[in-house]
Amino acid sequence: MKLYDYILSPSCYKVRLMAALTDVKLDIRPVDFHPGAEHRGAALMDLNPAGSIPILEDGDLILTESSAMLVYLAARAAPEWLGSGTTEETARVQQWLSFSNRLTTSLGAARLHEMLLRPGDITELQMHGIAALREVEAGLVEQGVRGMRFLASDRPTVADIACFPYVALAPDGGVSLDPYPAIRLWSRALRSLENFIEMPGIHRLHELKPAPYIEPGGA
Amino acid sequence: MLPDTTGFWTPVALSADLPAGTVMPARTPAGSIALWRSDSGRTAASADRCPHRGMRLSHGFVRGEALSCIYHGWSYAQAGNCLRIPAHPGLAPPETIRVATQRVEETDGLIWVAVGEPTGHPPRMEGLVPLRSLMAHASVSALEIAAGATADPVGIVWKIEPSQTIRLLLALQEDDQTLIHVMLSDKCSPAQRIAASRAAESLRRAAEALQAKGIAP
Repeated sequence: MKLYDYILSPSCYKVRLMAALTDVKLDIRPVDFHPGAEHRGAALMDLNPAGSIPILEDGDLILTESSAMLVYLAARAAPEWLGSGTTEETARVQQWLSFSNRLTTSLGAARLHEMLLRPGDITELQMHGIAALREVEAGLVEQGVRGMRFLASDRPTVADIACFPYVALAPDGGVSLDPYPAIRLWSRALRSLENFIEMPGIHRLHELKPAPYIEPGGA
Repeated sequence: MLPDTTGFWTPVALSADLPAGTVMPARTPAGSIALWRSDSGRTAASADRCPHRGMRLSHGFVRGEALSCIYHGWSYAQAGNCLRIPAHPGLAPPETIRVATQRVEETDGLIWVAVGEPTGHPPRMEGLVPLRSLMAHASVSALEIAAGATADPVGIVWKIEPSQTIRLLLALQEDDQTLIHVMLSDKCSPAQRIAASRAAESLRRAAEALQAKGIAP
């Protein structure tokens, strides 16, 4: 299973994270997204005419939408990540998978504007980003009242992985995460998962491991 | 503006939003703080700035009874003194390396931080439990107009429907923002709790629209 990947892309990270959590080995093919714009070159446009990454290739299956990749990995290796299958939970998973696109077009676009000078109305992108974060926060508060810690269920699902990276990297686009206590606890719960992996800007929880001990004079 | 010379308590967060072994950012009229709870459950508040390189301590982490900076791992006790500098494992950090701390009290599921030197304790919230905190880009007057109610010293009592009243605890922030803690009766059902959360979102939208149009001061 080959992933056309860029280390700084939150959408690519979704797939790497899902694969790590479900113990699937990916064949990583790095793409020179910036500054080379390799994803717009002829070879990758043949795979994905939309000119976006990630691209996941497995035999003759070519996926170009990250949410579909998360579902594919989960269905193949760990179906519990698709949710329990109850009517409401199935709908909630789909709701957040679709919603995750709004995070990409708001917080993700603000991040590209701030980090790679991508053109755009930064004030408006940030405003849409805040509106999206408030929806995630409200959704998590309501789930908490229902006794559930994650977006669609009491266990993490593909919905959480679809939403987590762009939420966690909101500060890269100049949008603060300080006012969202439910998002903070949700982010901790996801980063506490066994086999969680990092990307630049999203770090593991240091306190989960004992403090490294250095002998005096040994450093 | 609230008086900051006589001393008062400001509600900064819900207890439930700060589990043991975590740190979060909060704001008081006296500045930004790192609010944290040790593994044994003790809460503490310090200035949100590591004296070493200025990194926000609220980006750090809690291990045992200490708050550590994410940048170089300098760690601090509840009293603000530096406990450990990992790059100098043999060094006992001098007393002069410390972060400013604030008094913290926790009652009825709320965490209060002292601003100035309050003489008493934070107000009690008899029969009420906290639901959630949310930040509004709106002044207290905009929230009052939107709720159709007048704020008393601890917030607004707001009737969201004939049978349900909630209390909004308000904490003034900089830049015309207001932190709202939604409190409701400890007898509320889950459906009522969800309804209260949605009502608070609705109130925030209304107050922010008033503020944006310049209708509220």
